[in-house]
Amino acid sequence: MTQTLVASRHEPHRSDPKPARAVRHGRAVPFFVVPFGVLFILFYLLPIGYAIVQSLYTVERTGTFGPAREVFGGLTQYERVFSDGAFWTSIGRVLVFGVVQVPVMLGLALILALLLDSGLVKGRRFFRLAFFVPYAIPGVIAAIMWGFLYSPNLSPLKPVTSAIDFLSADLVLWAMANVVTWVYVGYNMLIIYSALLAIPAEVYEAAKLDGASQFRIAWSIKIPLVMPAIVLTTVFSIIGTLQLLAEPQVFRSFSSAVTSTYTPNLTVYSTSSIPNFNLAAAFSVTLALTTFVLSFAFLRFTSRRGEQ
Amino acid sequence: MSTHAPEKTRIKEPLLSRTGAMLVMAVCTLYFLVPIWWLFVGASKSSDQFTSTNPLWFADFDLFANISDLFAYRDGVFLRWMLNSILYTGGAALLGTVLAAMCGYALAKYRFRGRELLFNVVLSGVLVPATALALPLFLLFSKVDATNTFWSVFLPSLVNPFGVYLARIYATASVPDELLEAARIDGSGEIRTFFKVATRLMFPALVTIFLFHFVAVWNNFLLPLIMLSDERLFPVTLGLYTWNTQVNQIPELRGLVIVGALLSITPLVIAFLLLQRFWRNGLGAGAVK
Amino acid sequence: MRKSVSAVSALLISALALAACGSGGSSSDSDTGAAAASCAPSSGPVTLTYTTWIPGIEDVVKVWNDKNPNIQVKVQTGPNGNGGTYQNFFNQLKAGNTPDLGHIEYDALPSFRVQDGLFDVQSCDIVAKAKDQFIPWTWNQVSFGDDKTAYGIPQDSGPMALFYRADLFEKAGIPIPKTWDEYAAAAEKVKAAGGYITNFSQSDINQFAGFAWQAGGRWFANDGNQWTVNLTDDNTKKVADYWQNLISKKLVSTVPPWTTEWDNAYNSSSAWTWVSAVWGANSIMSGAPKTAGKWRVAPMPQWSAGQSVAGNWGGSATAIFKTSKHPYEAAQFALWLNTSEEALGLLNKAAQLYPATTAGTKYSYLTNPVKFYGDQKIYEVFAQAAGEVTPDFTWGPTMTATYANASDGFKAAVSGSGTLTDALTSAQKSTIDTLKSQAIPVKE
Repeated sequence: MTQTLVASRHEPHRSDPKPARAVRHGRAVPFFVVPFGVLFILFYLLPIGYAIVQSLYTVERTGTFGPAREVFGGLTQYERVFSDGAFWTSIGRVLVFGVVQVPVMLGLALILALLLDSGLVKGRRFFRLAFFVPYAIPGVIAAIMWGFLYSPNLSPLKPVTSAIDFLSADLVLWAMANVVTWVYVGYNMLIIYSALLAIPAEVYEAAKLDGASQFRIAWSIKIPLVMPAIVLTTVFSIIGTLQLLAEPQVFRSFSSAVTSTYTPNLTVYSTSSIPNFNLAAAFSVTLALTTFVLSFAFLRFTSRRGEQ
Repeated sequence: MSTHAPEKTRIKEPLLSRTGAMLVMAVCTLYFLVPIWWLFVGASKSSDQFTSTNPLWFADFDLFANISDLFAYRDGVFLRWMLNSILYTGGAALLGTVLAAMCGYALAKYRFRGRELLFNVVLSGVLVPATALALPLFLLFSKVDATNTFWSVFLPSLVNPFGVYLARIYATASVPDELLEAARIDGSGEIRTFFKVATRLMFPALVTIFLFHFVAVWNNFLLPLIMLSDERLFPVTLGLYTWNTQVNQIPELRGLVIVGALLSITPLVIAFLLLQRFWRNGLGAGAVK
Repeated sequence: MRKSVSAVSALLISALALAACGSGGSSSDSDTGAAAASCAPSSGPVTLTYTTWIPGIEDVVKVWNDKNPNIQVKVQTGPNGNGGTYQNFFNQLKAGNTPDLGHIEYDALPSFRVQDGLFDVQSCDIVAKAKDQFIPWTWNQVSFGDDKTAYGIPQDSGPMALFYRADLFEKAGIPIPKTWDEYAAAAEKVKAAGGYITNFSQSDINQFAGFAWQAGGRWFANDGNQWTVNLTDDNTKKVADYWQNLISKKLVSTVPPWTTEWDNAYNSSSAWTWVSAVWGANSIMSGAPKTAGKWRVAPMPQWSAGQSVAGNWGGSATAIFKTSKHPYEAAQFALWLNTSEEALGLLNKAAQLYPATTAGTKYSYLTNPVKFYGDQKIYEVFAQAAGEVTPDFTWGPTMTATYANASDGFKAAVSGSGTLTDALTSAQKSTIDTLKSQAIPVKE
């Protein structure tokens, strides 16, 4: 779908950052920017600001049934966040999840994209659709389905599931990793595949004339060229991992190992259903900052690697 | 210049590679499609047979009876949910893509003060967890008495910071300044140039942004869960979730959830098939430059 | 273009400022909310909103709407309470836009009371007069033990009894247990016969709460100044040790409740009994169709022979929110819904609700033989149990958190790490922490 996700080579106008010369056409800028800007302020910045403000308040009340008053409490809620062992355990848990699941998922997506692009495979349209279909299933529904598939008694894979309890404390994290992988491989594959399609054919010509194998071409030409797409999907997967909510929430109902604080977002959700809005807001703000730091660190890491 | 043609290379590849590749594809197809097949088979069974017969093969084929039960349940509320989902998702993705494209285009093609700041702020919006936004949004909508309305879900769904990011990069890459200059010399206004010239060049990217956006809205069920209390405004994900929580009171609902899940996949598959066609055109257009 | 930038930043600043006063504003909202409306009739026709997840409620409400053109009720539905509707109520309380009436289970009522969100229905004469129609312990669930106030109209109840497979017990020659000791002894024999006596509900703490309720456990108390949390009193410990013993000896299965897996345990005759509430009759019918005709119902096993005490599992009230502008009309509707034979009959038909009124338990549809249970008049057993539930069990003000903590620990105990008592001890501690972080006074 896009050349954007392909590293720039053979695209002269991109390596030529001519200053946009439209200063005198500036009156058009508000027309382009304001519609999005207004919505972004109203539905992104305003609620975030509101959440931050909320997280700075605490509740006071008198007597057992007295009305609650919100008073400014500074960083009181953040002290609670930082002394909450379960929350940080859950962050550690999703990081372990991400370190294993993200490479597996993206590796699979990359292999499938390369195979689709290699000309070795017939029926590409069919496969493209087949791999993408799981993505059409909303997370909640996908988790409910896999709950059945893991069931020791009702699963179509009963010989396997009755021998191995995928919903036990040891395995349930990976059972969920499988659900996430199942849903998202096709999606990531499409991003990478479209990046591959955008590589001009003549890039390969020389290699083909030299008699390089498909594997060689994939390894030394295609993968480096689609690296930006891979980095992008990685960042998105990191964000997605830290924000796991639907899968663990559904899995709570059929696995004894998934607690109410299993993932950071589940902690936010269960805190706000106590209801303790202020503490929930502090948890969300902390989670957003953690996500920000990790994604940023990853981007820095890859761009430094790229320069070397 | 043309996209590379697999036909030329296929002949040269050894049979082994081709067989190996097809094998990988076959295994993966099984992995991705068996659960869907299970869903399809499950949807065709009565609730009694659902637990008592082979989960991967048909018993009495009751799919159409199940579908008509689903459509009849509570005056066809399921159809209403499907329609809502299409409106929320399709509408928000379409309009959101245009807005993101405009903003990204301006960021790429005009210089103005605060441009980088704006870009960075928008980009960090991508990192904000949905749970952090949904509750404050509810409280803010409450202040203007607009919760439990179509707009309370639709408007926040329009904003897609990632789309702006993609649109900016793509506009930089695929819309040459010379072309814009030429359009200006022809007397075309900035806005007209954007819609007549730039969007055509950016079309593949716009399709990408649309797809990302469509799926993000489709999957977001926390916002409608918090915003909506009128069942007739629910998107299909929230509706099915609601039924699923009531299964222990009314066990018949389990069957409806399964049939509903099967039917709810169809709009996305259709959207995908349509977009696939656009893609190819888009790629062709991209190759002409 | 510079103008646009400054416009954007001005918008931004005003947005943040708005957010800031927004938060301040919301606290004053709840202050004004504290000035309770009195129970006076409104003039002119009114429209009430009512949020519930009772399936088929529209048909019941339609009957009311047809008869009361001046008090129209509009139904809103959502997921079940803990699935999202309570969360929405809390959000709406904070925002000041709740519906007039809401469906709230007994165990969640104190949470809403603590948030100061409920209207005192007993300030309405009509409600105070109707009080005697309700089974006393159900009234206690909405009044929190105070004679003068009440924060909801009891709707349904879940008196508990023993469902058992008469055929299997007879074939194995095991007598039907009347006490918990006999029940444990039967468990051994059932295991020997290749089954489980029951499935222990690991993640649904409410069943355990029903057991503790019967045994005399009292988890929460509130003396008007502060709360006392006691999840580990001697009676509760007795229950925890009892079930821990059955779990450790693997005499009970531990499938998560309300899953097809769980239905299957009953449908395939692997679980022989279920100590459950009256609404469980329907769960077995739909979950285990293959066992039709083979189940019977007996009173709940007792802790000492000769006693007759029952526990309760579930039940809910129709509450009126404090922000309602028409509490009088809302109370009229709620009373009709929960005391009239017509409405109770429809509720039972649509969702198998078991009434909370004394008269309700004697209606004809609750005295008929039930075919699935071998034509036993099972509801007579429950009607008796309804009269044997001890009245003074109080729920705490943050039950969602308490349940979550306890069920996390119960799940661990079932997977072999820790015991049920450990789980309760840890839930005790975190419940107190939750109360404190909400500034709710609690005795340490």
